[in-house]
Amino acid sequence: MRPLLRKHWQHLVLFPLALLWLSPLLWIVVTSLKTRTEVFDPASGLLPRAAQWTNYPQALSIAPFDTYLLNSIFVTGGIILAQLVTITLAAYAFARLRFPGRNLVFGLFLLQIMFPIYATFLTNFVTVRELGLMNSLWALMVPFVASGYGTFMLRQAFRQVPTELADAARLDGCGHLSTLWHVYLPLVKPTLVAFAIISVVTHWNDYMWPLLVTNSESVRTLPIGLGLLAKADSGADWTRLMAATVVVVSPLLLLFVIFQRRFVDSFMHAGLK
Amino acid sequence: MTQTPQRFTRRSFLAGGAAVSVAGMLGGFPLLATGKEQVKLSFMYPVGVSGDINRIVSGMIAGFNAAHADIQVEAIYAGTYDNTEQKVMTSLGVGDPPGTWLPINSALQTFLVMDALEDLTVLARADDIYQDFLPGFLGTCISDDKLYGLPFQCSTPVLYYNKAAFERAGIRAAPTTWDELMSTAKALTVRQGSDVTQWGLTIGGGWHDWMFESYVRQNGLVPWTKDKVMLDAPEAVDALEFWLKMAQAGVMPTASTWQGSANDFMAGRTAMLYHSTGSMTNLRTSSPFPVGVAPMPKNKTFGAAMGGGPIHIAKKQPDAHKRACWAFARWMTNTANQSMWCKETGYLAARKSSWESAEMKTFVAEVPEARIALDQAEFAGAFLQVPGYHKVREYLKSALDRTLAGEIRPDVALREANANSNREIQRLLRRRS
Repeated sequence: MRPLLRKHWQHLVLFPLALLWLSPLLWIVVTSLKTRTEVFDPASGLLPRAAQWTNYPQALSIAPFDTYLLNSIFVTGGIILAQLVTITLAAYAFARLRFPGRNLVFGLFLLQIMFPIYATFLTNFVTVRELGLMNSLWALMVPFVASGYGTFMLRQAFRQVPTELADAARLDGCGHLSTLWHVYLPLVKPTLVAFAIISVVTHWNDYMWPLLVTNSESVRTLPIGLGLLAKADSGADWTRLMAATVVVVSPLLLLFVIFQRRFVDSFMHAGLK
Repeated sequence: MTQTPQRFTRRSFLAGGAAVSVAGMLGGFPLLATGKEQVKLSFMYPVGVSGDINRIVSGMIAGFNAAHADIQVEAIYAGTYDNTEQKVMTSLGVGDPPGTWLPINSALQTFLVMDALEDLTVLARADDIYQDFLPGFLGTCISDDKLYGLPFQCSTPVLYYNKAAFERAGIRAAPTTWDELMSTAKALTVRQGSDVTQWGLTIGGGWHDWMFESYVRQNGLVPWTKDKVMLDAPEAVDALEFWLKMAQAGVMPTASTWQGSANDFMAGRTAMLYHSTGSMTNLRTSSPFPVGVAPMPKNKTFGAAMGGGPIHIAKKQPDAHKRACWAFARWMTNTANQSMWCKETGYLAARKSSWESAEMKTFVAEVPEARIALDQAEFAGAFLQVPGYHKVREYLKSALDRTLAGEIRPDVALREANANSNREIQRLLRRRS
């Protein structure tokens, strides 16, 4: 018993903590299987008397969630791919190149982080409209293809990379792009992953911008479907809202479970630096 | 606000009914389909109650499109009332508004100072609008005797009560006056030591400014005109003093949220609840006890501020589009659609002929509670129709919250909110003129 305890004491501490973190998720799942009267009735206990699986098809029939899901994947995927390219190039320029006005331009990038996204809604709206992209999936991506925050994060990471490595690469005949590819990027992978997680979660959950620039159901995303269930006048339709929430968060959860080790590693590294 | 006092006579009802049926028949004919280009309209709407609303709205619109070969309406779900207003405002800002939209009725003056709304008075006079719509509801679309929209989803606050809790406390009937409200709430409050396990009364937070206007109306004052608010009037101060008295007596929580208060009611943590008629279906079907519905208790008089919204029509669009918008607004508010909308959602049908229809009579026989709000509608009027009502609501809510929390005296809080609100309204009026 004692050696077992000595070996696994960490689990004793971590298990309750894990439960604490899991509890909201479990609560969502449990609520999604209840009847409407069971949700707030203290007498009916924690678990549903009989699991109401019909909440799921009922919730999903509110809106074309399959279309929304594909749109969400496409938009979030498109944004993160575009961002990874733009922030890598921009961050490299800011970190390692010398050009006139570099600090001024970088200052402007930082300024962009400080503006809340709502402050730029109208100007973005006008731009997207003039580009003729209203009510399309492109309208959901275009304003976000660059990221001041990502550029800043990555620039800091690039500056940590010893210049000797880059110099060595140059001696071996590498240009800017291949130095970036062979030397810098492999070394800042943890930062890239950390940024990707933040960005994916942000855009996966984005509600206001898609609501503003899309009109047709064929180009809308999952959070708008959820919005239909969280009503203003009458109090939310909790059971179905939770059922839809399970569906909306599960792709992200799945992604996290698959890449769990990599995510954890990258946060450890990004944090240690 | 200007109310149009309309005497409702048997003759006008028959005329109205006939006009509706003729209009209905005409609507079915493709009279206007003369090979001209199809008019494309969009309709931006929020979802206030149960999640199926977008399907009901889509169904109504599909019916309209099928019956009108020359008009194609696209329904655009636009989030909450606030989201919808932001979306419409943004489109107005770039000069490309949707043909029609559904805001909360408080937004009337906000859109009017932007010169965004089409005047529908002439069209409505030629129709049965003034005869068949309930005056209190139609009044929410009227400014300076001109009509700007048709009431579509109407609601008022009502008093919900837990019948089981009433039985336990030996109370027979719902309170009808403020004094009774106070004594009933006292009798219903249950304490264990210093903790309250069941409040006597909760006023749904988040929209408590809406409830507050109802209280001020029950004191005989409409606390606003189209270009100013009178939040510091004695009637308003008296209403807030009454709230404070209930809070200090420990029968009412000093703060709550909109969702949370409904949840508390369903869980039996509050025995009475002021909430929207829009919540009726949800509260009735989700509570593990029988739910009673009563009109809001009166003080000097009965009174209620209307919630919900009308269908507005944009001014800045070609005449053919305006005609199409009018046909659409008429369709959404016709007798059959209003009955259906009322039954499915818990909003109140805006037409007298809807309430007279056989369908609705059966419904009211099954769910007598639906009738309560209609009776109350006789005393109801628009809610806070001033420019910049968003800010005014925030000032007012902050005054109410701070007073109930005991930070400030009622009269001081309301005077402050009044000054801030009127300054904001004046700023908006100056900017637009």
